[in-house]
Amino acid sequence: MGISIKVPGLIKGLGVTFKTLVRTLTKGSHTVQYPRVKEAPTLRARGVIALHEENCTACMLCARECPDWCIYIEGHKYKAPPRRPGGKPRQKNALDRFDIDFALCMYCGICVEVCPFEALFWSPEFEFSEPKLADLLHDKDQLSKWMETVPEFEEYEDGSEAKQLKVPR
Amino acid sequence: MNTEASAQQLSYIENQASDARVNIELETEGMTLNLGPQHPATHGTLRIIVRLDGEQVVSAEPVMGYMHRGYEKLTEVRTYPQVTTLVNRIDWLGSFANEVPFILAAERLMEVEAPARAQWIRTALFELSRIANVVLFLGDMAVQLGATTPVFYAFRDREFVLNQIESVTGGRFHPNFDRIGGVKDDLPKGWIQETKDVLVRINSFCEEMEDLVVGNEIFQTRTRGIGIIPADTGLAYGLSGANIRSSGVDWDLRRDGGVGLIHDQLDWKVWTHPDGDSFARYWVRLQEVRESCKMVGQILDGIPSGPIMAKVPRIIKVPPGEAYVETENPLGIMGYYIISKGDLVPYRVKIRSASFNNVSITPWVLKGVYVPDVISILASLYFILGDIDR
Repeated sequence: MGISIKVPGLIKGLGVTFKTLVRTLTKGSHTVQYPRVKEAPTLRARGVIALHEENCTACMLCARECPDWCIYIEGHKYKAPPRRPGGKPRQKNALDRFDIDFALCMYCGICVEVCPFEALFWSPEFEFSEPKLADLLHDKDQLSKWMETVPEFEEYEDGSEAKQLKVPR
Repeated sequence: MNTEASAQQLSYIENQASDARVNIELETEGMTLNLGPQHPATHGTLRIIVRLDGEQVVSAEPVMGYMHRGYEKLTEVRTYPQVTTLVNRIDWLGSFANEVPFILAAERLMEVEAPARAQWIRTALFELSRIANVVLFLGDMAVQLGATTPVFYAFRDREFVLNQIESVTGGRFHPNFDRIGGVKDDLPKGWIQETKDVLVRINSFCEEMEDLVVGNEIFQTRTRGIGIIPADTGLAYGLSGANIRSSGVDWDLRRDGGVGLIHDQLDWKVWTHPDGDSFARYWVRLQEVRESCKMVGQILDGIPSGPIMAKVPRIIKVPPGEAYVETENPLGIMGYYIISKGDLVPYRVKIRSASFNNVSITPWVLKGVYVPDVISILASLYFILGDIDR
């Protein structure tokens, strides 16, 4: 294209930073002032594990599959009264203790994946830091409270054959 | 002995003595400089013992192992699905790429093959993690040479890639998404379009780096002709990835490896550079980001529909045997050698990670260079400490 003027690389680089300066001044910066402004994590973000207590049968699969064994479960069996008169009493599982130590948790999601009864869910909530490390042990009441923050599962992209799941409420 | 001869001898001895005195005065003492373990130019806790003569390096020796976490041993007591969450932490900037060779090796032993859609998703995430990794290098190399702006641009634009990885896998850094026989979940709605927008951003980032860093005269003076690694020496030391391609070796496992990813169905190019210096290593990586963007774009256009999981048993027991699979990871060749005895856990896993070999050339390449060039060479070799020590 005819005569090209050789611009020194230094000047060219300054042009890039100047363009960024103009963009930042007109369109705003990319960062947010965190405690006052919050960025929403994506819906699938692995923030904290929520427990839907009614679905849990204390089968211990999650505790066994956890790579660093940070889930503590205790449960007992009891005989529930039969559904109709004359029937046999039903065997039921009750959950006494369900603790997740988030100080140990690696946020890998294996427990949520292996749960056969859909009792565990990921919530994108991430603001649960504590001044004391021991307070990061969440018991089942705390874990059940996280259930409110669990979003619905996202729809899948076109061409997917995966089954759309629902979050029990 | 006559007097003349003895006078001659005396003057000779005198000369020798004065020479020796001058030598003693001029003799310099070597200095040992510990580069690291906590040094901003080392990406973590790598220590390099540099023996200096003035400003010149006489010998350099990398000391590794400050971050050894024993993953090869840990895998022997973790089941196969649990291993993927461990190996995420090897190369923490491109973590999804660490899972892929392990899963491919396990799949080879189990004789299952992931469905087409899973393979395409896998390759897309593999290349996205390469972009996330190398984009940070493009800024980081400049910051180690004293330019602070590019690293902020790199962090800014890498965040978009990490967001895309997060919205599929759930984890920004530790996806734990690859499974034996497929991937964990399908893509969420709207992801393909969002990723295309991100690719446009990354391409414009590459343009910016081209103007800001590559074209900069100071950067060129600091990197051109510095730390030249000839092709045969690089191959002898086991360099891989962009480090060996920038020495002119046309070798890329994505094209030549024939492992279970779909790179052979895409239209892309392997970039090489004949120089083998620090500048070439930067330039080759910059082109690789562009090629990865091209690849991801093609994958997003042509992703087939279908299932994402092959039929695998719920409790994974890998049949006895041995398998070695290596892939072209962001830092170079990464391979897993798995020996299975038909148990729930691997019997032995050997991890071949790229950075260990890439950093082991430092005694050779740092010999005789000046101190400021040590930083430039170390930065351009681009290692990640988790990848060295495992």
